[in-house]
Amino acid sequence: MALFQLSTSDDTTLSPEALREENRRLRKVCQALMSRVESGSGADGAPYAAFERSVLLAEQVKERTDALHRALDELGQANARLQAAKADADAANLSKTKFLAAVSHDLLQPLNAARLFVSALEAHSLPEASTTLVGHVGRSLKDVEGLLGTLVDISRLDAGVLHADKAPFAVSTLLDALAEEYRQVAAVRGLSLHYVPSHVMVESDLALLARVIRNFLSNAVRYTEQGHVLLGCRRRPEGVEIMVGDTGPGIAEQQREAIFLEFQRSPEAQRHHSRGLGLGLAIVDRISTMLEQPVTLASRSGHGSLFSITVPYASSHAASSRRSAEPRGAVADDDPGSPLAECVVWVIDDDEAIIDGMQALLGSWGCRVRAAATASALEATSDGETPDVLLVDYHLGDHRETGLALAARLRRRYPGLAAVVITANHDAQLSRSAREAGMHCLLKPLKPMRLRMLLVSLLTPQGSQG
Amino acid sequence: MTTSLANHGTVVVASRSANAEQAVQALAEGLSHADLGGVIFFCSAEYDLDRLSAALDRAFPTVPVSGCTTAGEITPEGYDRGSIVAIGFDHRVFAMEASLVDDLDRFALSDAQPLVDDLTERCRRRALAPVNEHSFALTLLDGLSSREEQVLATLDAALGRIPSFGGSAGDDNHLAHTHVYANGRFHSRAAVVVMINTCLPFEVFSTHHLLPLAHKLVVTEADRDRRRVVELNGLPAASVYADLVGVPLDALVPEVFARHPLAVQLGGQHFVRSIQRVNDDGSLNFYCAVENGIVLTAMQPAPLLDDLNRMLDGVTARLGPPSLMIGCDCFLRRMELEAVDHLEQASALLRRSRVIGFNTYGEQHHGMHVNQTFTGVALGTLPTLDE
Repeated sequence: MALFQLSTSDDTTLSPEALREENRRLRKVCQALMSRVESGSGADGAPYAAFERSVLLAEQVKERTDALHRALDELGQANARLQAAKADADAANLSKTKFLAAVSHDLLQPLNAARLFVSALEAHSLPEASTTLVGHVGRSLKDVEGLLGTLVDISRLDAGVLHADKAPFAVSTLLDALAEEYRQVAAVRGLSLHYVPSHVMVESDLALLARVIRNFLSNAVRYTEQGHVLLGCRRRPEGVEIMVGDTGPGIAEQQREAIFLEFQRSPEAQRHHSRGLGLGLAIVDRISTMLEQPVTLASRSGHGSLFSITVPYASSHAASSRRSAEPRGAVADDDPGSPLAECVVWVIDDDEAIIDGMQALLGSWGCRVRAAATASALEATSDGETPDVLLVDYHLGDHRETGLALAARLRRRYPGLAAVVITANHDAQLSRSAREAGMHCLLKPLKPMRLRMLLVSLLTPQGSQG
Repeated sequence: MTTSLANHGTVVVASRSANAEQAVQALAEGLSHADLGGVIFFCSAEYDLDRLSAALDRAFPTVPVSGCTTAGEITPEGYDRGSIVAIGFDHRVFAMEASLVDDLDRFALSDAQPLVDDLTERCRRRALAPVNEHSFALTLLDGLSSREEQVLATLDAALGRIPSFGGSAGDDNHLAHTHVYANGRFHSRAAVVVMINTCLPFEVFSTHHLLPLAHKLVVTEADRDRRRVVELNGLPAASVYADLVGVPLDALVPEVFARHPLAVQLGGQHFVRSIQRVNDDGSLNFYCAVENGIVLTAMQPAPLLDDLNRMLDGVTARLGPPSLMIGCDCFLRRMELEAVDHLEQASALLRRSRVIGFNTYGEQHHGMHVNQTFTGVALGTLPTLDE
């Protein structure tokens, strides 16, 4: 059917009437279309015009919605690319962290041995010049060890392998020892250390918390030219605030966040050319987050700084039940001479350098040392002698039992044998297992003073195994 | 007989009891619970509306109840007639507010903006998700008011980004009395606007199954106030249309209108303008606005079930299986389905997608008054927690 019902056949056949009629209708159609076109946008509010406007509006909305969807798609793709890039960066970061941890670990082993040798060497009577040199070597090694330890800590914190092992303890257990240690360090720098003791029981990870306070104290001593350093506690409703204050240069407001980032050192720190990596407070920040124990900083430029960490109180029940497992020797023994003399110490380690180093060190303390790579080799040379203390490396090689298992075996054979497991693995689980088995755990690099304190505590009657 | 459906914050109850009190009793038993936040119902115009409204007001005294009369209901069983179907909305999943527009003749933007602002504000107080992004508006209009276009355009301007859809109330093809229900009673020449905010995903849709033919008709004389076309192509409209579809003038009945629709083309799309009836003077009345000088395109139907199936599949693909759909289905579509005996197949599709709704005298989509479409909203499901 055509547009109009007029015939499409030859016009000449049409009557004049039909043509007139077609003409009339075409005029009518033209008029209607013209009036429609001229009413145009239909601003007169007619119903059809309203409908037309709605259609046009809906069309525009649809176009805009489509454009929005395209933009969202692009955004989504950009997001996906960013996520992939972030995943790559995370992976790279993780492999860096793992590399750092592995390298640090491998460096710790020989360093450990070197420290043991130097300690042993110091006990020898040497010419004065040599003693000075040995002292320098010892201090340099100690610095290397400190730096390496810092790197290990931060890489382990970043790798997420370190887990808090919270237990109740008296805050004095920690602070007494630290105060004693830093009193001497401060004195060397011409500073005085004020320590206000407290016997409040707190719940935290002793080693990690010690790290935090130690970093506070190191910074305070390092950056304070004159005056004093304060170590003390303040009871707060939510816990004990352990504070380290100093009369140093203070930290400018705009730097107070930055100093908690890695490799950031204050301008004062750089002026001092001090040996540090700028990782101390970054470690503090990570440990604080991990322990969920907040660190605060107050400072007045030119007057000093006050760093603190707030540690929750221990519940009294938990405090008493765990107390017996803590080594008493956390506080230094004032009389180191006699207790170790003639005591029998067995050392099991698969590293010959360590064995030699341990023999030299323990021998210099007057111990009777038997050292070997295996328990059977030890027993073969022991002439039936009963050991007082066993020092055993945790990782005895890939296909052997762990030091912990070996120690447990020997403790069954020699009741009352005190056992110390030595490991480079900082996993809290390991030290917990040792503690639960009634043994002790020391971390590599082994600090001779700490080993000595532990041995003293183990060999004095109160400190024997319960 | 009562049927029901409960899912993701909605409960549906339908009753075929012709007795208003008994029907409402069935609804109340199925829907009333402590977390009921609102009710939307569709009922046959055969009910005694005074008794129905009194019973509804008694049964649901504390929650907003909105509804309208129909030209057929869509219940959990599919297409029905002479029944009432109601959806109960759980206030933990939906926040809904309703307002009545009782003067369609003078409804202007200055009325629409405060109305929408008030609805939005009331919704926001109990909103479960940001109102602008997670709400839609349902409009129920008196289908014989001839005011849909202006009211909708005005409302749409006021609603802004909030999508809207709806239907014009029907009266089982009597074309005599259509009603909307709000504020406890039925109203003529009125509209109900229900704003629904939900944490469920949703999609407002509209579909039809009609394709354009080559024939064009120009409206050469129209009475816009009565939606009446007097002349097409300079000749009496009814006879031109009868010639176009090839039936005698006295055979122009709604079934023919359903099979041979006319549409206007705007922006590359065709919008059906459905014929309502033939007048004695040879003019045609429409269900929507007409104007002198508009060009009508003859349309022909493609298979309705295929189009419906495709649309429902599309919604399911985008949204997951719907928890509920509210459908406004043109009564001419139902007429066509009945004529080709596809009503039961269509009911099966509607059941499968959980469509509840009614047959309309016109549908509303984003401010447009359209005809011979299936328009509504599909509600998705809440994401399950264990995924």
